[in-house]
Amino acid sequence: MTVDLSQFHDAFFEESFEALDAMEAALLKLDIGAPDPELINTIFRVAHSIKGGSATFGFTEIASFTHSLETLLDELRSGTMPVSEQVSDVLLKSVDVMRAMLRAVQAKQPLDAQRVSDLQFDLEVIIARKNQPAPSAPVTPPAAAAPVAQPWLIRFRPYPELIARGNDPLRMLRELNELGAMHAQIDAQSLPPLADLNPQDCHLAWTIELAGEVAEEAIRQVFDWAEGDCDLDIGRQPEPALEAAVEPPPAPPSPAAEVTSAAQPEPAHEAGAPHEAATAPGSPAARPETTTKAEAAPGAHSDSGSIRVSVDKIDELMNTVGELVITQAMLSQLGGQFDGPQAERLRAGLAQLERNMRELQESVMRVRMLPISFVFSRFPRMVRDLAHRLGKQIDLKLTGEQTELDKTVLEKIGDPLVHLVRNCVDHGIESPEKRLAAGKPAAGTVHLDASHRGGNIAVEVSDDGGGLDKERILAKARARGLVGPNDTLSDAEIYELIFLPGFSTAEKTTDVSGRGVGMDVVRRNVKSLGGKIEVMSEQGRGSRFIITLPLTLAIVDGQSVAVGSETYIVPLISIVESMQLKNGSVSRLSGQGEVFSFRGDYLPIIRLHELFGVEPHTRALHEGLVVVAEGDGRRVGLFVDDLLGQQQVVIKSLETNYGHIDGISGATILGDGSVALILDVPGLLRAASMRMAA
Amino acid sequence: MSTNTNGSQQQNGESRQVLTFVLGDETYGVDILRVQEIRGWSAVTKIPHAPPHVLGVLNLRGSIVPIVDLRMRFALDRAEYTAVTVIIVMSVVTPAGRRDFGVVVDGVSDVVDVNSAEVKPAPELGSRGATDYLLGLASIAERMVVLLDIDRLIGRDLSSIAGNGEDGEALTADAA
Repeated sequence: MTVDLSQFHDAFFEESFEALDAMEAALLKLDIGAPDPELINTIFRVAHSIKGGSATFGFTEIASFTHSLETLLDELRSGTMPVSEQVSDVLLKSVDVMRAMLRAVQAKQPLDAQRVSDLQFDLEVIIARKNQPAPSAPVTPPAAAAPVAQPWLIRFRPYPELIARGNDPLRMLRELNELGAMHAQIDAQSLPPLADLNPQDCHLAWTIELAGEVAEEAIRQVFDWAEGDCDLDIGRQPEPALEAAVEPPPAPPSPAAEVTSAAQPEPAHEAGAPHEAATAPGSPAARPETTTKAEAAPGAHSDSGSIRVSVDKIDELMNTVGELVITQAMLSQLGGQFDGPQAERLRAGLAQLERNMRELQESVMRVRMLPISFVFSRFPRMVRDLAHRLGKQIDLKLTGEQTELDKTVLEKIGDPLVHLVRNCVDHGIESPEKRLAAGKPAAGTVHLDASHRGGNIAVEVSDDGGGLDKERILAKARARGLVGPNDTLSDAEIYELIFLPGFSTAEKTTDVSGRGVGMDVVRRNVKSLGGKIEVMSEQGRGSRFIITLPLTLAIVDGQSVAVGSETYIVPLISIVESMQLKNGSVSRLSGQGEVFSFRGDYLPIIRLHELFGVEPHTRALHEGLVVVAEGDGRRVGLFVDDLLGQQQVVIKSLETNYGHIDGISGATILGDGSVALILDVPGLLRAASMRMAA
Repeated sequence: MSTNTNGSQQQNGESRQVLTFVLGDETYGVDILRVQEIRGWSAVTKIPHAPPHVLGVLNLRGSIVPIVDLRMRFALDRAEYTAVTVIIVMSVVTPAGRRDFGVVVDGVSDVVDVNSAEVKPAPELGSRGATDYLLGLASIAERMVVLLDIDRLIGRDLSSIAGNGEDGEALTADAA
């Protein structure tokens, strides 16, 4: 009796592709000269299992190729052959070839036999020459166990406008915390009384004690962006302090010498900051660095006890849970109306139900969450290849890879990030000669970071290259008539120009980037996910792109507002604040409608009842409330009757059965089973200005 | 009720089941296979910029379903919505795919078998605008039943809403 093996093909392909990804990652981490035996084992296992599988299924070409590969890897494993640059290159190419072969077999298409046999020949040649001495000398590990130094004493006093300039002091403190053991003391003396407090001003100052073995440069880097916006004083602690908290273990030779910085002693400190795990809430490995040893050895995830589930099933589960949440809310409301001795018990039970529901909902949401490393993992290879091709030296630093976000968001953020990283590598980082001439290290750094900020995730792509060239951007915009010859633009406005379609200042178009498609697409993609992208740049120092995204597309934190008999949900992320207007604080501008003064700006008022054709309870502006909302960088006051409450709402599509409505992003079901529409503030602004123009 | 001709006897045409409902003085019928459920009236959430006959949306076991008032769609006098007002939830096939929607009618009458041989084409009246959403007229138990093609009647409305959120007028004036 024969078994139809083809039923296992899909599983084999899926596993093999995953295994190849793992192999690629391991290869990139592999240190020339001083390879980590565990990494070689991982690589060997991948080749071995693909060989075994393909032989079983009768994919002889793959089996034959992997056999040669395995032979070579065996030599590496036993240590009879050193890992040289050449070997690592050939192995990476082998990954590509195996991927191509698997894809071809999967699609039942002919293999590129020439490419396969060429590479197989290379493999055989290397094996045959194994006894020749390898030219590459082992890399000496960076001087790590530096003598214990006096702790740093940093006085950081931001100017009030620091936050408005796009700096986040909390983030800087967090970055410092990553450098080494830190103790911060806050000085809130200049904090004004609450009534006078503008939440966008920074009134706090800090005195920070930081473990002494951190390089001064690393500290200064943290404050790079705040320079000019704060008083900063960095010095050594004067009196001899207690023994520095932790002496870092000698730094392991960075296993990712190819892509991460082995020259700076920084990684040693990251490895030696034991309290970091303690400060990271939730997962103990919240922000592992690529530079730390690959404890996430890909072999681990085969025995992590996971199962494969189709996304459809999870979506179905999500929907059902969504229904359950609504039913539960309905019951809770009903339960409040009962009286009598039994009512108390009923309410206790309902409260319990509510807690359980919330947990259930969160668990189901978490099933859809994946770490962003799924996206980040493609970059080491990409940056390595690009840097090679462009003749640049680039260290790629990845942080916060374990930050989780919804699968749909994850899938859509990949391409924008690729664009940004490419731009950094191609345009941002200068050639080594230029960098040396500018007094920078020859190798540029591209840094990808992900972190949670409230209900959002922030993904940051930064480089220490030349930064955006304001003059050139402006000149180009003027030449193309986008900006008048005499208009003066602020820096932020100039950077904004790069997001216009077809805008590129690259001196020459390369095959990497510079064709002028890109930044506008990046922004569009980010916006379609309900996120935003910001740019910061400093000439000669580098640029930073920060993408802020919602964690999930299925749930939004909303503020319910009442307009007449209708209830609308305004996403909290769009709300700046809500206020009651005083009688007479509204002026009428001809052709502009009504405006009111908000923190020195005049904002237009959109009367929701007019825009949506609803009969309101009040038309007098001082009797209702104004919700100051922000969309597309513009602010507006939404006039509503009343605020009802804040809640998380499950977003339902209106387009499934109806169609798109300007200014409405979807609908949700309230506790009483009725439907409320969710406002889309940017769309609302567009709809309102179209009305105004009409 | 007409005789049950299901399956066994072959007449001149196919027989199918039709749900009939009342709107003013007239009786209408729709293919029963398109009917999802029948439910009582409950308040709807208004949709901005919707054509007048689209009353709003309702929560139908978790999905958001638009509600159409057929009286307004047919330019009849508007009736009061009461506890006995009925919503028939149906699915239509549009170029954009399957969609669910509810129609508000005065009352549901019956499920009847209609043989296609008994269906007479609707007379061309011309003045009343497009009548291509009428499948024909059938006479059942001495009553005239107007058979509706809901894909044409509602599906077209819905797909034009999807294309243009504000243009409600074009929906009823598609005679040309």
